[in-house]
Amino acid sequence: MSDTLPKLLLRNYQAYGGSRVALREKDRGIWISHTWKQYYETVSRLAVAFRAMGLAKGNKVAIIGENKPHVYWFELAALSCGSAVMGIFSDCSAEETKYFLNHSDASFVVCQDQEQVDKILAVKDGIPGVKKVIYWEEKGMWNYKDDLLLTMKEMLETGAELERTRKGQFEEMIGETHGEDPAALFYSSGTTGIPKAAVQTHRNILRMVEMMDRRHPVRESDESVSFLPIAWIAEQLFNVAYSLWKGFTVNFPEKQETVPEDIRATGPHVLLLTPRIWEEMIRTVRVKITDAFWLNRVCFGAAIRVGSRVGDAEMKGVDAGAIWKTLRAVADFCVFRPLRDRLGLSRVRLAYTSGTAVSPDVILYFRAIGVPLIQIYGSSECGVATMHPRNQVKPETCGTPLDGYEMTLSDAGEILVRSDCLFKGYYKDPARTARALDGGVFHTGDFGKFDADGHLIVMDRLDDLQKIGSGRVFSPQFAETRIRFSPYVKDVLVVGREGRGAAIALVNIDPRNVGLWAEKRRIVYTTFSDLSQKKEVIELVRSEIGKVNAYLPEWATIGRFLNLHKEFDPDEAEMTRTRKVRREFMERKYQELIDALLGEDDRIEVTASVAYRDGSKGNVRSTVFMNDVTGGAVR
Amino acid sequence: MQPKTRKMEIRGLSLSFGGVNVLTDISMDLFEGELTAVIGPNGAGKSSLLNCISGFYHPQRGKIVFEGQEITGMDCVERSRLGISRTFQNIELYDGLSVLDNLMSARHNRMTYGPLAAGFYFGRARRQEIEHREIVEDVIDLLEIEAIRQKLVGGLSYGLRKRVDLGRALSTQPKLLLLDEPLAGMNKEEKEDMARFILDVSELRKTTMVIIEHDMSVVMDISDRVVMLDFGQKIVEGGPREVQNDPRAIKAYLGMGE
Repeated sequence: MSDTLPKLLLRNYQAYGGSRVALREKDRGIWISHTWKQYYETVSRLAVAFRAMGLAKGNKVAIIGENKPHVYWFELAALSCGSAVMGIFSDCSAEETKYFLNHSDASFVVCQDQEQVDKILAVKDGIPGVKKVIYWEEKGMWNYKDDLLLTMKEMLETGAELERTRKGQFEEMIGETHGEDPAALFYSSGTTGIPKAAVQTHRNILRMVEMMDRRHPVRESDESVSFLPIAWIAEQLFNVAYSLWKGFTVNFPEKQETVPEDIRATGPHVLLLTPRIWEEMIRTVRVKITDAFWLNRVCFGAAIRVGSRVGDAEMKGVDAGAIWKTLRAVADFCVFRPLRDRLGLSRVRLAYTSGTAVSPDVILYFRAIGVPLIQIYGSSECGVATMHPRNQVKPETCGTPLDGYEMTLSDAGEILVRSDCLFKGYYKDPARTARALDGGVFHTGDFGKFDADGHLIVMDRLDDLQKIGSGRVFSPQFAETRIRFSPYVKDVLVVGREGRGAAIALVNIDPRNVGLWAEKRRIVYTTFSDLSQKKEVIELVRSEIGKVNAYLPEWATIGRFLNLHKEFDPDEAEMTRTRKVRREFMERKYQELIDALLGEDDRIEVTASVAYRDGSKGNVRSTVFMNDVTGGAVR
Repeated sequence: MQPKTRKMEIRGLSLSFGGVNVLTDISMDLFEGELTAVIGPNGAGKSSLLNCISGFYHPQRGKIVFEGQEITGMDCVERSRLGISRTFQNIELYDGLSVLDNLMSARHNRMTYGPLAAGFYFGRARRQEIEHREIVEDVIDLLEIEAIRQKLVGGLSYGLRKRVDLGRALSTQPKLLLLDEPLAGMNKEEKEDMARFILDVSELRKTTMVIIEHDMSVVMDISDRVVMLDFGQKIVEGGPREVQNDPRAIKAYLGMGE
């Protein structure tokens, strides 16, 4: 029985050997394939070397780096030793990294390059538990001499040496792994409070994959792309574990900057992206179309109308009728196929969105252009709990629970999950574990409801719900995701207050798209802050919010808004590393602006401290205008 | 410390245009693997010195010896074959070509196949093309320009074009690399990046380098030796610290009397 990830690796090695490609990476301009045989052999060497260095059952190994096959090799090697792995987001600061390393009791750290190694060396004295720091990109580190450091090359040599003397050791080690061993620690994004680490076992992870596959089967011959953070459970499930379980090929882009081109070159069949990235794609398409020749615009508009019509029918699982289907075929041939090709989505059979809420418009849009986008709901603690069923895609819901998952609501409206693959608890945190797993049920902390067909609708985080007007419960996220659908809005924070009739919005305009828009209209601007306060730009955002207001319940519309003079930034702790807005923190940070919006003033002078890319801090003074959504301009 | 090997020997170099003496009796040595910075006020003759070394200008007097071979009479092309490569103060790239093609163009004088073979891409052409591409890809990896590999140079930012310019010089696999103000006109972040790349090249490839640079903090950080010119004459030569504290250097830069 293959009940652990290393056992699956052994199975695939025996089944496919050198005949099938497991991992494919782009390096120095060329796609390099690694077969299952190579995958297995590399992991084998690393694993015996790890064991020789003292990595034992129950230890932890931290991995920091961008998505590369090396991450998979090291992860499987650590798992083969009976250890658990934890990913650390590569843009975490040295201090954050130190916290994770100490909290998880990591005994080895695997780093990609100089940047990450420097970070570890900076806090070297504060991490007594770490025995070695291993890295694989040697660039810039030829003169590093620290006893803590070890290159992957050296490790592979040691491993090869050991393999010669002790044949069969790796197979033995794999045999000793057990399904109930902890496999991974997932530090939750921590929109509130101190991060906590959910512990998942091999068995859990494989069970989650099995349940996902039962809903939407993936094929052995499929290609997927790995570029979401490895510290995130979605990447671990959809690529690391899924590829081992099913035997499909995972592709690794050359660099973060080349991801769109490399996706296009790969032509994946399965693709999981965050709502931000899907939204970004639409934004790009829409802005390009607005810039196009009028005939192209007319044709595109007509095609989208046909596409939406048929897409709607498909989602409901009904027949669109022969005429529409024919029109759709024409639109597909002339417009959508080239478009999907440009986006790298020409072969996508399963497109998922997960992470945060997505606007229904995004799903509708992709359905219209022939990309079957499916929404997923899940968490580090329970894996993927719901997905849209094939013939019943309701864009405003997260779909129905997967097999093996039973979901109910608490009296307060909190979503509760019951399943046989819930996490084993938070690492070294019995108090919060007890609270989250009270009564053997996982308390998600999300507020939601079920519709008549049993589809889950997730409204917001329970902690993030606010009261508005006469005390009605109001979900800021609901409005935010819809406003973000505008090509001109990159991010937005919506706030409602009890006793106030309407909500307010702090808008982070999309500098690229608004910049293009302004250029076309010959609006001169200098900086982001200048652009955001232009009369015309405020008008533009006003009309965008006005459109959304039409969909919001009357008591929860946006009354006033302002365009922020700076962008939201994970480096300033305004967002989590997966770009979720940290609401509580933000409301405190922008207290002054929120008060002004709730008040009567039409403008406010702000001095914002900003963290520059080089780490230095500076102050920027500017004027921010308050604007009503309805009625004339305040200025 | 092991004895330093002399890479280049410059003796009594003098250059004048009409009646203007641009360089007067310059003698200096470049050592294997060292990074020598040439500093000096505007018009001191720094670029002219580089042009003499690369073969753009031919000095009236003096001689230049590279790896024991006198090269004073050779032209740019011959010197390039010997392994002397340079970047320009005002970037001189092919704007209409992609980054990759610009870098590949640096390999052209080592390609030995004809247009016919190139057109059909067989035999020697194919073999060589792959070989050269590998060398170029190493440079792309080193300078982290993967994302702009296929972009047209004309559309790139100034800082990136500077980087491509350096990349082209590196693609010739030089033994001696001459950098004419590689950091000029860049912002702080770009400068830091560029300085790091220059150090990477120096560490990894042990390339002998001459760099002209005005930013003294950078010069102090990255160079092994500093040569200071003023009015076409060599004023000071030595380690970065020595030169920084030398009264003659301070005078030339700041124009202060005793």
